[in-house]
Amino acid sequence: MGARRVLVVDDDPTLRETLGEVLRDDGFDVRVAWNGRDALEKLDGWNADVVILDVMMPVMDAFGFQSALDERPEPAPPVILLSAAPGLASAASELGAVSVIAKPFHLQDLIAEVRRVVGPMNGTAPASV
Amino acid sequence: MAITEVRELDRRRQAGPRATRTLAELAHGPEAFRLLVEAVTDYAIFLVGPDGRILTWNLGAERIKGYRASEIIGKHISTFYTAEDRRYGRPERNLREAERRGGIEDQGWRVRKDGSRFWADVQLSALHDDQGKLFGYAKVTRDLTEVRAAEERERQLVIERQARVLAEEALRSRDRFLAIASHELKTPVASLQIAVESLLLSREQGTLDVPRTERGIERMDRAVKRLAMVLGELLDVSILERGTTTFTFTEVDAARIAAEVIERFAGVKAQDRIDADLEPAVVHADAIRVEQVITNLLDNALKYSSPPARVRIRVAPLPSGALIEVSDLGIGLGLDIAGGLFEPFARGTNAADIPGMGLGLFITREIVERHGGRISGVAGPDRGTTFTVMLPMQPPRTGDGGS
Repeated sequence: MGARRVLVVDDDPTLRETLGEVLRDDGFDVRVAWNGRDALEKLDGWNADVVILDVMMPVMDAFGFQSALDERPEPAPPVILLSAAPGLASAASELGAVSVIAKPFHLQDLIAEVRRVVGPMNGTAPASV
Repeated sequence: MAITEVRELDRRRQAGPRATRTLAELAHGPEAFRLLVEAVTDYAIFLVGPDGRILTWNLGAERIKGYRASEIIGKHISTFYTAEDRRYGRPERNLREAERRGGIEDQGWRVRKDGSRFWADVQLSALHDDQGKLFGYAKVTRDLTEVRAAEERERQLVIERQARVLAEEALRSRDRFLAIASHELKTPVASLQIAVESLLLSREQGTLDVPRTERGIERMDRAVKRLAMVLGELLDVSILERGTTTFTFTEVDAARIAAEVIERFAGVKAQDRIDADLEPAVVHADAIRVEQVITNLLDNALKYSSPPARVRIRVAPLPSGALIEVSDLGIGLGLDIAGGLFEPFARGTNAADIPGMGLGLFITREIVERHGGRISGVAGPDRGTTFTVMLPMQPPRTGDGGS
């Protein structure tokens, strides 16, 4: 089985580039997207094990992305919400996110959370929510 | 008007052989009016001689002013006035005015026997004899202290309600501002923190090479610039909304300012995308703020359109002032113009990687409005966007000096 797949969705280029680089260093197969619509394209034929998702994004925000995901036949990947938006907890429960990280955050915390969500490197991905 | 105790009054005054009479018997007699007046309790009604001395008294006068008839008849009406009114000759003036005009109405504080004050509504009518000679005054006084207090309470309530509505709106507006400001500040701080921590992590892992370091520095540079920009815009919004900034209005040529702004864009590769059509347009305006307006609009147009799409700026004189028009053939704003494009933090739905947080247009509108001008925008999701600013010849007086 190949590397765990992580999709990073954030409209801030600095953040998604840095996260992409760090997670690749950590052995993940990473794609980045700058909004919900871009993320849906990145998921075409490439099933992520986890999606790190910003909430407020242009073109398509987290809510638009989640409802589009739910319409696809494939099981939706678990989502870690990563945002500076107020009311993050209620957004998380509405989106069915497995966890929430408020910006700003520590890199190590995010990496630990990604590892926790995708499970042991040789195990199977947790069921989608 | 309360008419009470006629029978009682009658008995008191007419104690003697005719113990009681019916009101019907009295109604057509010569005493009827005297009885009526004497019995009125809500109004002080009495006669005053031409010299201002009190001639008659009634129950109302006793109740309102506290004097019995025996105590007050023969005294001057100035007894009821405050010391201050007496000093300024108000009693005499009222008598003179009533004589001259036939009658007056006066409202003011009067003094009761016990020294307490009441708010009086006084009607003073001059009475003349058959030869037209003044022979006295009729005075009707009402105690409006309660009415006045009730009106005052009502007025106070209205003022308090208005103040509360304003305070609540200010609080909501401040909360909204803080929520968005905090979001906009956290975003670049998060980028900065992650860029720094990724470098620290690489160093820890012994993988910190030159390309990695360079990438990290570039990211930190971007994040810090974004942070500085957000802070600058937030401060500007806060200053403009408070209205504490002073505008200095002088004679300026909007075309000359536009030329300077375009020149400043030189060196940035975007500059060769600007088409300028500049005619001198002189108005009274704040040169620095007009420069800010033109910079914001041009910056916006350049950001929301990508090369090789052209950006066009036109400055022209109008009979009423100056026209500044900036248009692009870019992606458009994808935002309903009527729906708060100029509100703080509004951003195009397709703003993508475009930096900024939507304060630019809000700041621009604030500046234009402080000049007494107008700004409008026409945008579509597919075609370009055009912003039109009209500045008047003269700013409004109230805008001068930053109220």
